[in-house]
Amino acid sequence: MRIPCPHCGERGFQEFAYYGDAGPKRPAHGGDTGEDVWFDYVYLRDNPAGPHEELWYHAAGCRTWLVVTRNTLTHEVAGARPARDVALERSAAP
Amino acid sequence: MSEAALLPRSPLAGLLRPVGGRGAAGVTVAERGSLRIAGLVARAGGAVLADIVRAAYGVDLPTSPRRTEADGLEFIWAGPAQWIVLAEPGADDLAATLRGRFGMLAAVTEQDDARVVLRIAGPRVRDALAKGVPIDLHPRAFGPGDVALTLAGHVPVHLWQVDDGPAYDIAVARSLAGSFCHWLRDSAGEYGMAVEG
Repeated sequence: MRIPCPHCGERGFQEFAYYGDAGPKRPAHGGDTGEDVWFDYVYLRDNPAGPHEELWYHAAGCRTWLVVTRNTLTHEVAGARPARDVALERSAAP
Repeated sequence: MSEAALLPRSPLAGLLRPVGGRGAAGVTVAERGSLRIAGLVARAGGAVLADIVRAAYGVDLPTSPRRTEADGLEFIWAGPAQWIVLAEPGADDLAATLRGRFGMLAAVTEQDDARVVLRIAGPRVRDALAKGVPIDLHPRAFGPGDVALTLAGHVPVHLWQVDDGPAYDIAVARSLAGSFCHWLRDSAGEYGMAVEG
């Protein structure tokens, strides 16, 4: 499996460390955030068969976090973006 | 009481030994010792830093994995908005100079003794490196001025091509220099490895 690092170019996955699903968004602290919301955020994950957005860390390269779109059935990698850009986009969205 | 003298010692002392004796060496290696090294990390963005560096040294800080030279300094890409800067031995305190010029725009850290830089060359250097470096160093994929952060036999390395010789510089964390040299001697052994300098 090869991951197209936006900074370094295409590299073997051995240079990366896998973290997990890039989807979960941390709930707001305190207030109305119930235990079930936290439980969902901390523990519950989907297990999709097909394209999946996930976090990978380029540990042996540029040392940045990436959001990689990987097909869990075929390991085909559709793309990789800096996690920073994805996070900025998300925080800008209403 | 006798006075103790503290002598600088290369982390490669006793480790960098030639391998194989017959014929011309396929790989030559030399330590670029006592370099002045500084890490440069741009604060928020880096566009202003790039402008100031261009004004001071007349070069563009590489925004892709490349290396550039100016005024006796080498600017080497080290990740997004990050670089290492090298100066030859005997130069003024590099980190202090850079901090004085760019301290408001970048975090500057002195790295003089943190890294070991080796210059590796010779007709079989690509064959020796290919045994542990997972990136393609073929001329169609990697040429002079290109930089990569990658691995060499499981040791994280920062490497760049110097010329078409081909010659490469490889920077390794000081504490891993021993492991790296062990790997290099094993890899280059069959081609013969000579040590210069």
